[in-house]
Amino acid sequence: MQKFFSNRKLVIAIIILIISFGLMSVSVAIRNRKSTPPLVQQFGNDVAGAIDRVVALPVNGLQSATTSVSDLLNTYQENQKLKKQVDQLAQAKVNAQTATAENKQLRKELKLNQSLSDYTAVTANVLTRTPSSWMNQLVISKGATAGVKKNMPVMSQSGLIGRVVEVNQTNSKVELISNTSSSADKFAIQVTNSAGKTVNGIVTGFDKSDNYIQMGSVTSSVKIKKGDKVVTSGLGGLTPKGLYVGTVAKIKQDDYGLASEVEIKPAADLTDLTVVTVAEQ
Amino acid sequence: MKSRLRIIFPIGLFLALFLDGSLSNVFAGSLFKYPYSSVLHLVLMWIIFAVFLDDRDELPILAWSAFAGLVFDWFYTGVFGVYVVALPLIVYLCRQIKPWLDLNFLTLLMVYIINLTIVEAFVYTWYLMSKVITSNLADFAVYTLGPTIAVNLAIFVILYYPMRQLYLRVE
Repeated sequence: MQKFFSNRKLVIAIIILIISFGLMSVSVAIRNRKSTPPLVQQFGNDVAGAIDRVVALPVNGLQSATTSVSDLLNTYQENQKLKKQVDQLAQAKVNAQTATAENKQLRKELKLNQSLSDYTAVTANVLTRTPSSWMNQLVISKGATAGVKKNMPVMSQSGLIGRVVEVNQTNSKVELISNTSSSADKFAIQVTNSAGKTVNGIVTGFDKSDNYIQMGSVTSSVKIKKGDKVVTSGLGGLTPKGLYVGTVAKIKQDDYGLASEVEIKPAADLTDLTVVTVAEQ
Repeated sequence: MKSRLRIIFPIGLFLALFLDGSLSNVFAGSLFKYPYSSVLHLVLMWIIFAVFLDDRDELPILAWSAFAGLVFDWFYTGVFGVYVVALPLIVYLCRQIKPWLDLNFLTLLMVYIINLTIVEAFVYTWYLMSKVITSNLADFAVYTLGPTIAVNLAIFVILYYPMRQLYLRVE
């Protein structure tokens, strides 16, 4: 057997390790900066994204075909259930329309043109998901040319799912809310109880054992119950107010017994995403 | 006949690379079901097949695997220097042990398990050192490595004979 680690090979191995580690440190540092990635990186991502579209198209087509079949099988039961809801919905819709119109009028009188809850939506397809257990990331099919910016919140049809971490010209990367890495940015959220009182806080982590979002360090004396709605508070940054996050699942004391920790059941299913919406304020 | 394989190999490599992501998204409900997360490694499988089934060692696998690793880091994670080193490392190790192996289904299966473990452990260590993730070793072994090996072995068993036929026919 030849000598496995001759001097020359050892030197080469060490140099490769150093280069690899250096590259990694630099790219992690760049990722944490607020600006978009360097132009070269954007270009590479755009090229890879273009090729990926060709591969992703038949796969996604296959998926939509299978979901159509399973949808078809459930149609009858669903139809009966939905019929009951439609009547109530029409009423709620009219109520909401009147309230929105009134709100707009009142805001005009107060000369309050832009509020925290205004946002425009960019709808994008999900191209791929990072095949790794460490990075819960998606690549979506809209980028800087469609107006996507770094740190914008991303929603599925039912609720908040994550935030844009990297923007290229024609695609961008989304970090899911289930990502627990220390460098992940946290959302400002608020819980509203049945009496209309609110508790503000930020997302502090993700409890993987139950798939709950955690809101830690809550010291407010406002009573929160299970089932109370949680939305983004619009404080500090690019996130608009009022994006639906989920409902309160349980409240417990934190490890030191000083503050409480609210566990929130996310409204969106983070493992079944085909179309997402990027909200820009 | 060597020119045909020279074209098929890189095309298949990148097809595998993008299928990894697409299939991960489509089957995310079953692949990343808590607490387990199984990572698809079609790229790794394609590379290992190429190293062991290409008898005359005429494919530039080392360079292509480095390039595929670079695209992986670039497009999927945005953290460079992880797969771009891990994949060529695997090619190098496989080439070292190839002369000592009697090539058949079972030995290739064992080699594949070992290589999956090496790649996953390498990626885990690298991300841990750069503080991209916080996770302990026991969780990694039970919840990531185990399911990953199980899923990829199943794919390997299904694809072994078609792949061998491909290489036999092209050569």
